[in-house]
Amino acid sequence: MLKQKLKKEHLGLLFDKLKVTHGVLGPKVENGVVTLAEIDAHDIPSGYEDHQQPGGYRLIKGERPEIFSFSIGPDSFKRFLQPPLREVFAFRRAAGISITRPGAEQRPLAFIDMRPCDLSALKLYDRIFLRGPVRDPYYDSLRRDSLVFVLNCLYPNDNCFCPSMGTGPEATDGFDVALTELSDSFLLEAGTAKGETVLAGLPAGEVDDSDMREKGARIELCRKRIKKFIRAGELPGLIYRNVEHPRWAEIAERDLECGNCTQLCPTCFCNSTYDALGLSGISKKSYQVSGRRMRKWDSCFSKNFARVHGGNFRPSRRARYRQWMSHKLAYTMEQFGLPGCVGCGRCITWCPAGIDITKELEALKSAR
Amino acid sequence: MHDKSIPFEAAIKWIKKETRDTATYALKVKSRDIQKGYRFIPGQFNMLYVPGIGEAPVSISSAPSDQDLMHTVRVAGDVTTALSHLKAGDVIGMRGPFGRGWPFEETGGLDILIVAGGLGIAPLRSVVRHILRTKKMAGAHSRRMLFYGAKTPKDIIFRNEFPRYREVFEVLLTVDRADPEERWRGETGLVTKLFDRAALDSLRTIAFVCGPEVMMQTSVRELILRGVPEERIFLSLERNMNCGVGLCGHCFFGPKFVCRDGPVFRFSEIEGLMGIKEL
Repeated sequence: MLKQKLKKEHLGLLFDKLKVTHGVLGPKVENGVVTLAEIDAHDIPSGYEDHQQPGGYRLIKGERPEIFSFSIGPDSFKRFLQPPLREVFAFRRAAGISITRPGAEQRPLAFIDMRPCDLSALKLYDRIFLRGPVRDPYYDSLRRDSLVFVLNCLYPNDNCFCPSMGTGPEATDGFDVALTELSDSFLLEAGTAKGETVLAGLPAGEVDDSDMREKGARIELCRKRIKKFIRAGELPGLIYRNVEHPRWAEIAERDLECGNCTQLCPTCFCNSTYDALGLSGISKKSYQVSGRRMRKWDSCFSKNFARVHGGNFRPSRRARYRQWMSHKLAYTMEQFGLPGCVGCGRCITWCPAGIDITKELEALKSAR
Repeated sequence: MHDKSIPFEAAIKWIKKETRDTATYALKVKSRDIQKGYRFIPGQFNMLYVPGIGEAPVSISSAPSDQDLMHTVRVAGDVTTALSHLKAGDVIGMRGPFGRGWPFEETGGLDILIVAGGLGIAPLRSVVRHILRTKKMAGAHSRRMLFYGAKTPKDIIFRNEFPRYREVFEVLLTVDRADPEERWRGETGLVTKLFDRAALDSLRTIAFVCGPEVMMQTSVRELILRGVPEERIFLSLERNMNCGVGLCGHCFFGPKFVCRDGPVFRFSEIEGLMGIKEL
């Protein structure tokens, strides 16, 4: 596959090229955090450093010379490929029911700066929404036209543990183009024919062995900077053997059930559908009604998530936390053959109670 | 193929009140194309949709060979209440069929035992009617038994059909409590009480069980105690089915999507999960 270098000052050319056909999504500072938005090259918050800890995130102007000097923020591709709220169809019931599906989607998306952990989550999403017994047509159309530029990581944050999950800091497949920031340029490696087409029109610098060595060294340095670790080799058994561990009740006492972790987790996919009615949607003849059927992100932390009429299958907070963590670390592997946790650490950073999934798993390991 | 996230129109052909809170709805799929392609096996369910209110998962209570597609619904929440306000001729939305049904192919040559509790009779009525209506089913089983437990004699659903069932099945009934004003000749007590009356040939038995979760747990325990192999016990689980196709997460039972991997499970598949509270 095609490999070439791009001078750092030419990064804007890549954006210009992509913008003709795609909405280009990349990192941008908003409200003091790095989020994803449609951006230009000059929006990239170069030189910023993020300091993350359990329940904490600080963004400061630092000394790092790289353009991509920061790690991941709360956002991921998921907000764009599977939006938090979308219309499934509009309906109108009179004598019969008429259903109108929403029109064609917006223009295709290009993800600049998708990190290897999120790329693993994207692979899981593909299995869930494209290769299951039923294909999600909305996701399918957006995903098929999207371009994925994965950025190999140089600076992890203190909550990252991708090496434990085998998802980073380097991406090996599943991308259209992989970027690695070197000292004087970007190394661009195409992973698909689509990716090669994008690279073809850019001013190309030749790649030699020293560039590949520099790439390797930089990623190795990143790997060494990673502080957290999880016993992935002992999964899923460690979860299955400990369903009645007293730790679950203990976590429930700290857990606020805000659902932040499920909203930020790039693999969480649970959702609910409901009918949205405006006041004008209800006619005097009560049988006539019109509205929109909406699908929204849901969370297994919500009390009614497993409710049926006449009872709730998970009435306790202990059971709801256990459901979430078990789904991440055990069930997803069984369901889709890929880990449900990609080691991004977002659930640790954005938990207002600072609950740390790596520590909780360690606690399950300890004697009861 | 039809997109399974979009409901299609189904007209209510007739409604039959079964008990004070339960009614059977016969539905007719309006689109000819969809109706032609619509095939189900007993034990599968549909999502019934009342626009403006929402959807509810309801198992199909008729047999594939029945003329009408039936759903037997108890008034419990918003959607089932809305259904109870409708009349013949009204149109609702429907998606389905979803899930895995009862494994008929495994019943040949065996004693088939159907154990139902309360509304759990609905997906099993589909089995019973399928056996009654299908000629080649005659003689396929060495013995056929139907055990059914309800709250009171008045809560027995499909009671008028039992005489027909008795032609092919050994039918035993029990109620939690008998109304004093009604003569009740069946048993009183849990459905498991009936197991003693029937003298099961456990190694030849295949059991289909559906009812409240506690009733299913006791039934399974009793069947295993009597020596029925775990691989020949099947249960239909109830969970909060929402999308029907394994994309929404509401029906998780451990790693299982009840909507897709179930609702009918072989007990040996879920044995490790059954005893865990709040899974």
